Amino acid sequence: MISVALVILPAVATLGLAARAVRSRATVLLVGVAMVASALAAAEAMAPPGGPLLGGLARVDATSQLFLAFINPIFLGVSVYVWNRVSMTPTLQTRMSRFVGLALLFLAAANAVLLANHLVILWIALEATTLAAAPLIVRPGVQASRQASFRYLLFSSVGLGMVLLGLLCLARGMEADGHAPTFFIDRLPELAAGGANRWGKLGLALTLLGLGTKLGLAPMYSWLPEVYDESPPAVTALLGAVQFNCALVMLFRVVQVYRPGNTALVTGELLTMGIISMVVSTVSIIATRNVKRLIAYGSINHAGVIAIGLGVGKAASYGLLLYVISNAFIKAILFLTAGKIQAHYRTKDTRRISGLIKDLPYSGVFLMVGTFALLGFPPFGSFVGELLILSALVSAGHMLVFAMFCVLITMTFVATGRTIFPMIWGEPREKHAWPRQTFLSSSPKIAFLIALVVLGIYIPPVVNGLVQQVAASLEGL
Amino acid sequence: MSPLLMALLGVLLVPLFVATWRTSLLGLSCQGLLMAWIAYRMAPEPSTASEWLTLADLVLVRGLGAPLALYAVLHAQRAPARNDVIPPNLLSWTFALGIVLVAFNFSAALVPEHGQQQILVAVAATGVMLGFLVLATQSGPFSQMIGALRIENAIALFELGGERHHEPLGVQLGQIAVVAMTITLYRWYLKTLTASSGAADEGTPDGATL
Repeated sequence: MISVALVILPAVATLGLAARAVRSRATVLLVGVAMVASALAAAEAMAPPGGPLLGGLARVDATSQLFLAFINPIFLGVSVYVWNRVSMTPTLQTRMSRFVGLALLFLAAANAVLLANHLVILWIALEATTLAAAPLIVRPGVQASRQASFRYLLFSSVGLGMVLLGLLCLARGMEADGHAPTFFIDRLPELAAGGANRWGKLGLALTLLGLGTKLGLAPMYSWLPEVYDESPPAVTALLGAVQFNCALVMLFRVVQVYRPGNTALVTGELLTMGIISMVVSTVSIIATRNVKRLIAYGSINHAGVIAIGLGVGKAASYGLLLYVISNAFIKAILFLTAGKIQAHYRTKDTRRISGLIKDLPYSGVFLMVGTFALLGFPPFGSFVGELLILSALVSAGHMLVFAMFCVLITMTFVATGRTIFPMIWGEPREKHAWPRQTFLSSSPKIAFLIALVVLGIYIPPVVNGLVQQVAASLEGL
Repeated sequence: MSPLLMALLGVLLVPLFVATWRTSLLGLSCQGLLMAWIAYRMAPEPSTASEWLTLADLVLVRGLGAPLALYAVLHAQRAPARNDVIPPNLLSWTFALGIVLVAFNFSAALVPEHGQQQILVAVAATGVMLGFLVLATQSGPFSQMIGALRIENAIALFELGGERHHEPLGVQLGQIAVVAMTITLYRWYLKTLTASSGAADEGTPDGATL
């Protein structure tokens, strides 16, 4: 029942905001609930997988355990960042109860995505994360953020609409094969094992395309840079590190069920979306001079790598999962740091930011380490992940994809380094009297950084066991 | 049921050629009500909670709720009558009609037996593709909302044609709640985006933010 509490607790806590006494301490409530949720998620990750819950609508398996174990702590880190930010900036206090209410609903829906054992319930929970996140993107009085928020909702609705249409086509495929349609994930493998008919193939293609849209993969990726750029940094971190992984879990569920009977379709579509995403993001990274957009294009690049790893499967799966977990921490570190840098320099233009390591030492270090991890340097998990994916591409004979991957990753490295490194090590342009950075304000990023490094040099046995189980399940349940 | 499906096809096409926002909303409303009629014809004596919920979704949320919510905002803002959902030129109109042909061919390939199922799939496919045409050619918030809602309605029509699933009632309620919440947010965006479209940003991009 721990897992059910992970959904119910944040949802019920939202109701607590009705009381005026709670509203005035909304950020404390946010941190408190996030702490309890993280502890519960850790306990759930270490417990043996349980049976079906709530009449089979929910289930705890290795995939849900693994993702619960890192999504909830990331949410906690972002909550601590928000609490500290509000403590330091009293003007933010007035709008906090609305933010906290929506953030808690977002957490409840995100945990529901991870626990759902029914594809339509999973879809509803993913839509709920979108509906809770859309108003959070809006910064009061900033029209561009309102437009970005609308674009986010529109693209998400259309992408998830395609997913629903895909699921309905898959149901038609089951009917055509003489089976009673079902969306219960644990019952689907036996119905999907025989390969797909035309409805099934159409449904699978639409589902992958729709989830690709939600992940920011080409062709429908254009919403992502604008939304990540315009959102408050805490919200960008939630979108990039939490919601991205919720959408990824749905993609994993679909691949776990349908890959065995449709290997060519799954591989072809994911490889195509992945490599095109890498191409467009690389070109955009070369062109952009906006630090938040640069990280956003880096996210599209990472989504492309993940799609390629998932498309190849087999030996790549273990590396893919290391890459996914590292990616979540990298994005949380980089987006929170970018927010800090923007708040201090009052610009997002990379050419006007210089000498970070002297001006803002913590932020300089976070940006430096985050960029190295983003680019896949050792000792980070992203390095091992990329290496295993590249090796699997060669083993599977996808030499053209391998060659393009290598060229694009090199171009990304050069373009990112050319933009970011002068920001860190360049000479400060202007003399400012910077407010001192406290340890507390940097503590969430320090925690993310420790997790990132630990993942690269020593993976705890519990996490390693879960990663191996999930990697095996990506070849079929 | 075929005349109803043909009427639905007409309702999908007419607002593309009669370019006012009232026609677009009327078209949206007619889509919901015609789909409710189709659902009623499929189960003339609704007895289960699921069948009643389907009717409530189609009539109250899609047929009345969505158009009225958007109408109230545009009426209050005294929006100009004209509003194109696709560019008003021969190329776009040809493209729209071409989509109808493609959808019918697509449906014939997926459902080989002639009959209502084939027409239903064709009309649903037309709705989805025309929705994408609207989204691809328009940048204004209202037109884009219309495009997205057309796609949502087409998916609901496609769902009507499937076998009656014995899914938990909560799942159906959840789907309806998602549609209702999406419409509520669309209304909020239409109100705030249109109201402040001419105004400059009140805040500064580097102001205090989370």
